[in-house]
Formats: sequence, structure tokens, C-alpha cells
Amino acid sequence: MWLLEASIEGFRNLIPSRLVLSPTVNVFHGGNGQGKSNLLEALNYPALGRSYRGARDDDMVAAGAAQAHVAVSCRTDNGDHILFECGMEKGGPGRLRIDGEPVRRRADLVGRMATVVFEPQSVQLAAGAPELRRSFADQSLSVLDQAYFRRLMNCHRALRQKAALLRDARRAGASPSRVRAEAEIWNREIAREAAALCESRATWARELDPRAAAIYAEMDPGSACLKFVYLPSLEACRRGLAGEDLAQEILSELDYIGPHEVRRGRPLAGPHLDDFQLLLGGIGLRGYGSRGEARSAALALKLAHGELIFAQRRVRPILIFDDVFSELDKARVRRLQQECAARHQLLIATARPDDVAGWKPDGLRTWRVEGGRLEELP
Amino acid sequence: MDDRPTLALKRGAADAGGEFRSPALERLVRALARLPGLGRKSATRIALQLLRGAGDPAEELMTALAEARLHVRTCGRCGCLTEDDPCAVCSSASRDATVVCVVALPVDVLPFERAGFYRGRYFVLGGLLSPLDGVRADDLPFARLLERFDVDGVREAILAFDASVEGEATALYIQRLLADRDVRLTRLATGIPVGGSLAYTDEATLLRAFQFRRSL
Repeated sequence: MWLLEASIEGFRNLIPSRLVLSPTVNVFHGGNGQGKSNLLEALNYPALGRSYRGARDDDMVAAGAAQAHVAVSCRTDNGDHILFECGMEKGGPGRLRIDGEPVRRRADLVGRMATVVFEPQSVQLAAGAPELRRSFADQSLSVLDQAYFRRLMNCHRALRQKAALLRDARRAGASPSRVRAEAEIWNREIAREAAALCESRATWARELDPRAAAIYAEMDPGSACLKFVYLPSLEACRRGLAGEDLAQEILSELDYIGPHEVRRGRPLAGPHLDDFQLLLGGIGLRGYGSRGEARSAALALKLAHGELIFAQRRVRPILIFDDVFSELDKARVRRLQQECAARHQLLIATARPDDVAGWKPDGLRTWRVEGGRLEELP
Repeated sequence: MDDRPTLALKRGAADAGGEFRSPALERLVRALARLPGLGRKSATRIALQLLRGAGDPAEELMTALAEARLHVRTCGRCGCLTEDDPCAVCSSASRDATVVCVVALPVDVLPFERAGFYRGRYFVLGGLLSPLDGVRADDLPFARLLERFDVDGVREAILAFDASVEGEATALYIQRLLADRDVRLTRLATGIPVGGSLAYTDEATLLRAFQFRRSL
């Protein structure tokens, strides 16, 4: 799919603007702090119903404005048009519409606009905390499988209920056996959803692995092989079980550690503690990889996610690159850009004209972003 | 086809929620806005209608409120809202006392009574298990529910809770409580609504409908 047009008003430092995008490559030049990332954040807002940078709606409304509006029209791979309209309000709930129909739950939005965003923080995917990889997995899986998102929400809800129960019971000095009996109720809910979540995560990692390895090998020929593996926190998920058997085994595991949880006053196991690992030549990138390797590996992983979206949903996601080419070898960057441009719409923000200098793909459109103002260059 | 994005979400300045010069009006709006389902905008509209509407709607509302506060109570047997204790359902000889529909809130009884097909009785829990909201098993009248089962010789209990995590957990808790009793325990089915379109059914509902499909 690709973005056709967008109009933006009251969003961060951006001057109200309207832009018609190229279905191939769109480049936004500008110095740091001029508004390039803000623009990409606005354009990607309908994909998630929130900022990919983790900002609150409040923060995205321009200083002095009460509301921000982003409207984006897209064409899907089968030729349909979709109009996304987003309203953000200071102190109020955000509002979203698809083709004029209000979107009441974020679950109904997930996967409608398929994008893959690579930004400076994405490098942390390889070397940062487990929650970043978990969150990438959850976002990726939610786009591929809407049922996954609902299961994830249910599982988180049950986990939060159990956490509240354990915390309050510990404070109040409640009878451990009664707290356990109540905690087991929530364990049933957690186990049922966790079994499906963990199976999905394992399958997803297996499908992503060869794709990421191939992309990494293209970016860095002659390098060691990249591997992506799932590290489930629950013992039960490492025994090759599935379906109801897996749910039963997870339930037994959760009930077994019940007394420890009651003593500690918090849940000690569950899919919320899962992790994934990126290995280069068998060595974990977390702690051992160079910054360049971590960046390439994270990029390969994100692009592999894009390929998976196409393989499973026949949708070509829009690729959004926010200032990510600066630390990569130039020849490799160009090859990567050309390969991506051949299959996807690209939105590239860069502070260094070098990153795209001399590259003239068909349909290229270029803008200068300065002080929040967009100016298309000839 | 016109692809141009529109800014249809743009709202007028009047929506921003202004300050009233009258503290009394401001208090009224705030009190109304605390009611479920009402935002400040609707609260303001209702407040102005009450104060300025034809036929003194405020007086009518005050009388109705005072009467309702005086006469409406919860039924000592089932927990439904009623003016007579026990309520009409609990005291009716034509309702089957051995079948009990367990619901979370008094309002959940209304759709059953409107539909009119159900001939058993009710038991209102007053909420669902939710430690996040400070509701634990001890806070819900499970002991009274069991007592009711024993006294009335209940044969079947139908759990009619929301299809939420809390609804599932509460149902499971009751299932455990009744494990050693000879009571048939059922839950309402979830699936495609009558008259609903299969094409627009969300996947979670579809999955439930699929899992609990029935033989023909």
C-alpha cells in the first residue's frame, strides 16, 4: 500500500501543510530539530493510533493549539482507497476515523495501515532491554494477526488483575492459601491466552529468522550468519507442546510458583517476561556486537517483518526511515535503498544529503523541512 | 474518486468546555458529568435544559429523584432493584425457583425481563472479581449465593456475565465453589448476533462462535 496525500494541522512544530506523495520514493531533507521526525510521526499515526516514538497525544498538539489533525489517504494493494482521519486534543481522548467511520477500539485499527518504521532508537532492538524486542514482536504479530492483539490485551489484563491481588494481599497480610486460591483463577485466564501467544511468538520468530538472515547477508556479504530466536520465559513453552496441552502445562507451572508469588507480592512468570535474541555467528549481539552490527541486524529484522507482512497478508507495507543510514556503509545503503524502492513506498528523512545524493529513482519527490515548513524541491 | 483528505474531525471552539460565571451552574454540570456515559458537553446541555426547559423539568426531576430514593431498594433475596421486598420475581409462584440466573449488576436483569422468555429467578452479585478495582472474592456475596442454592434447592445456575477477562474469572470462581454440589452450571453462549452480518463480525467473536459451534 502507499500514501497518496496527507494534510497536517496543529501537529508539533509543523506549519499546517498538505502534501501529495510519490508512490515510490519520498525524501525529506533538513537539519536536526526542523520537523522531519515530527512529519514521519504524523504520517505514521494512523498505523498505530498513537505515536511510534511513544509520545502522548497531548505532547503532539502544537504549543498554543487546542487540537491537532492528521488526515492521510492511502491506496491499498488491491486498488481500494482508505482515508484515515486522526484528531488529537489537549487533555482529551484522541479520535480516529476510517473512511468517515469512527474507530472505537484500537484493536479495530491494528493492521489497517501497514508500515515498517526504522528510527534511531530501533538499533536498541538488537542490544537494548527485552521489553523493546517484546514490543516489536507484539506490534508485528498484531499487524499479522488481529486475534493476537486481543489475546495480548486479555492476557495483560489478567496479569494486571493478578498483580493487584498479590500486591494488595501482601500489604494487608492476607491468608496465603486464600490468596493462592484466588490467584489460580487469574492463572487460568493467563495460561489460556499465554499458550496461544507463545505459540504465535515461536512461529513468528521461526518465520522471521531466515528472512532476516538473508537481508543481513545482502547488507554485509561475507559476514557471519544472523540468527533470531525466541526465548520464552515459561518452561512449558520449551517442550514443544501446543494447544490445550500447552495451556495445561503453563497452568501447572504458574500454580507451582504460586507460593513464591504470594510471598513476593507480584507475578513472577508469564509471557510478559519473554525475550528474543539476535545472534551473529552464534554470539549474542546484546553485549557483544558492535554498533554497526547492531544497527544492521535491527534493520534486517524490521525489513524481514515487512517481508512477512507481504508473505502473509499480500500487503506491501510502507517503509519509513527516520535518519538511519548515516552509520552504514554507503554502497550497502544504496543497494538496500534500491531493493526497498523496487517493492515498497519509501519515506526517508535525512539530515545528511549524502545519504541519498546521486540517487534518482523513478518518481522521486524531495522536500526541504525547515522550521516546521515543508517545501517541495524541483 | 476524490482522494483529498478532509479535516472532518475539526471541532468548534464551543466544544472546548468553558467556565460558567455561576458557581451553582458549574457545580450542577460537574455533578452531571460524573454520571456514567456523560461527558462535560452532554452534562452542560442537560443542565441548561433542566434550568431553562419548558414545563419546569428540574422540578419534575427532583420529585422523581426524591420518590425513587424513598421507595427503591434492593431485594433481600436476589439483589434486584425493587419497591417491594422480596421483589415481584422472587415472590411470583410462576417463576421457577430451582433455576437461577446469576448476573453482575441489577441492570443486567433488564434485558432478560424485556425479552420475557426466562422463567427462572435471579441473583445479582453486585460486581465481578476485579482486584484492580479493589473487588476480591470476599467483597462479593458468594456465601449468600450458596445459601440461596441450598434453601431453594437450585438445580441449574446460568452465569450471565460480560464476555470479559473479569467475567471469565468470576465464572470460574463460582464453578469452583459449586464443584461439590449437584448443580448444573451453564454460561451464556457468545457468537454472531441474530441478524448480524458474518462479514463484519470481529475475529474474536467469530473464533468463539467457531469454537462453540453446534451440530445440526
